[in-house]
Amino acid sequence: MKIAIGWLYPTLMSTYGDRGNVICIQRRCQWRDIEVEVIPLKKETTPEVFEGVDIIVGGGAQDRQQEIVMRDLQGAKAEALKNKLDRGTPGVFTCGSPQLLGHYYEPALGKRIDGLGLLDMVSKHPGIDARRCIGNLVFEITANPIASELAAMVGEKPIAIGFENHGGRTYLNDVQPLGKVIRGYGNNGEDQTAGAFYQNAIATYSHGPLLPKNPFIADWLIVKALQNKYERAIELKAIDDSIAIAARKAMLQRLDLFNVLATV
Amino acid sequence: MQLLDRIRLGLAVGVAKIVTKIVRSLSLGAASVLPGEISRRLHPRLLPLLFEQVSKGVILIVGTNGKTTTSLLLKQILSDRGFAVVHNSSGANLINGLITALLNSTNLTGKLIADYAILEVDENILPLLLQDCQPKYILALNLFRDQLDRYGEVDTIAQRWGKAISPLSKDTTIVLNADDPTLCSLGQQLTQKVLYFGLNEPELYLEEIPHAVDSIYCPSCGHLLDYKGVYLSHLGDYQCPSCGFAKSKTALDSKEYPQILIGVYNKYNTLAAGLLAQEMGIETDDIFQTVKNFKAAFGRAEELEIDRKQVRILLSKNPVGMNETIRAVNKIKKTGKSPTTLLVLNDRIPDGTDVSWIWDVDTEELVKLGGNLVISGDRTYDMALRMTYSCEKIATDRTNFNLIVKENLQEAIDTALEHTSTTETLHIIPTYSAMLEVREILVGRKIL
Repeated sequence: MKIAIGWLYPTLMSTYGDRGNVICIQRRCQWRDIEVEVIPLKKETTPEVFEGVDIIVGGGAQDRQQEIVMRDLQGAKAEALKNKLDRGTPGVFTCGSPQLLGHYYEPALGKRIDGLGLLDMVSKHPGIDARRCIGNLVFEITANPIASELAAMVGEKPIAIGFENHGGRTYLNDVQPLGKVIRGYGNNGEDQTAGAFYQNAIATYSHGPLLPKNPFIADWLIVKALQNKYERAIELKAIDDSIAIAARKAMLQRLDLFNVLATV
Repeated sequence: MQLLDRIRLGLAVGVAKIVTKIVRSLSLGAASVLPGEISRRLHPRLLPLLFEQVSKGVILIVGTNGKTTTSLLLKQILSDRGFAVVHNSSGANLINGLITALLNSTNLTGKLIADYAILEVDENILPLLLQDCQPKYILALNLFRDQLDRYGEVDTIAQRWGKAISPLSKDTTIVLNADDPTLCSLGQQLTQKVLYFGLNEPELYLEEIPHAVDSIYCPSCGHLLDYKGVYLSHLGDYQCPSCGFAKSKTALDSKEYPQILIGVYNKYNTLAAGLLAQEMGIETDDIFQTVKNFKAAFGRAEELEIDRKQVRILLSKNPVGMNETIRAVNKIKKTGKSPTTLLVLNDRIPDGTDVSWIWDVDTEELVKLGGNLVISGDRTYDMALRMTYSCEKIATDRTNFNLIVKENLQEAIDTALEHTSTTETLHIIPTYSAMLEVREILVGRKIL
């Protein structure tokens, strides 16, 4: 079996260790003898290349870089990406990249930037003096059907652990939140929603090394990608995730959540 | 200075000195910030008044990496020539820390006794500082991605620096790293005297541009820069194929220049301090002499001997810094004299609370050469996870490297030392607060 990971603008959109998600998917394939290729989706890439990828990964950008991306990701390229996600290509969009998928982003200064409009949500920066949402983020994945599918994989409620750092706030309309905030700000610090879920794509403000510490999400993406491609049920070989489990435990203990979540 | 001003200054200084005594005698800390805070309340124009009294001028040193080592080298060069030099050596680089450092060298009437003041300045503070202080020299080393949770983005910082420097009079000289496109572009827009340092050694080019790179786009037109080669991160020989922006000519021949410590990093630090010293009128031979005898600042490629074993501590606080550290360590590992490396990752305020950055480090390079990797720190398992994911082979099939995970730092250090013989060097790669802890365990006393 073989998987192609499409990495959106690796040099422009990779501000906070977002490469971690790509590395995680790549290694978990390699460790199971699944052939894997990482295809950078950059300015020079033609829309046809988008067609050939099985998983899409997007990270965060600095403002100037985000603008270059927004200008480039239009027309045929935007259509190609939309088509892929519409048809159920799995994707993971972290840090600033969820803003790309919504209707628009209103920065603290300057003009509103249009997004792809794929997800029914908007993002706004409440002003240059507003506090950024910074800190460790823990949320329960509640969206359907991913929540029940993950629960079946891990044998318990799927809890995601990450780190967020964003000035913008995202407000969802007719789109499922990915989860419910247990600790941290999530989409806007007001309504306890964390991220968004659309077809097989997940979006969250959590930074790019989301998957290594939540390996079940990585495996879910790989399963979806292989199922789409080979049109049959896929069973993945188990991997020893003891270090990830220890890292999760350490963070939950620090946040006084370990016992709380264990007894839920 | 007006009489009233002088009295207020004297009062501010006197109070600060008393506060310093109290803080120290009660063992409340090193008193590197509080006296400055209090005296500034007593005299809001305190810092500019102190600046004016430094007889030969104030040198501000800014940049993401290398401030401490460069300051220390420059200070050494100047001291060796007999000059009295003030330096905020505790690393307190916000306004209050700068004031405190200067106050420590004043007498009771507020008179400052110093030929030069070398001040390491926080990236964010420079614009605020330049509002009412005029330094004689500004030295900008580099701008890398570092603690975005605290500093914001590289482009924004450079713009703010440019805006703050341009209104200064022509009495200020700016020394910049020409290999950093963001800084070079900044220099080309200034009307003051600007001097550039940089490398001209294509044999040091990296094989590919590392991932942890911020500024490969032209700072003036946004087009992708054309690199002949990179020395580290985005520092290199470049030009813009669209608008013609190109690296400025450097004032020194880096090939002919000796360097302090190890690593390409310290080559830059040496050139920076050397060029500035030369501009101050110090002879090249004298500079070279100090370079030859230079000893590291704590934790910055600092060498210690523990149980007759060599230990080298290499502070690494961001992706570029750690990539360079790994490059320097690997060079030594290849000689077979350094089988063990200890990595300590903390996530306290001085380290940055977000550890995502370790995924931007090319730890694959460290794992490639094998050996023992001991992992510790507040975020032990996050770092261990990064190491695990640096191998193409699954853990059970790995033969070349031995991952040892020890949450307890003392145990981690003991284990790492056990895996190092008396003819070998143990390399310790800590973040900032981790470096202080490591040193406390190894040397047995606090430094800050």
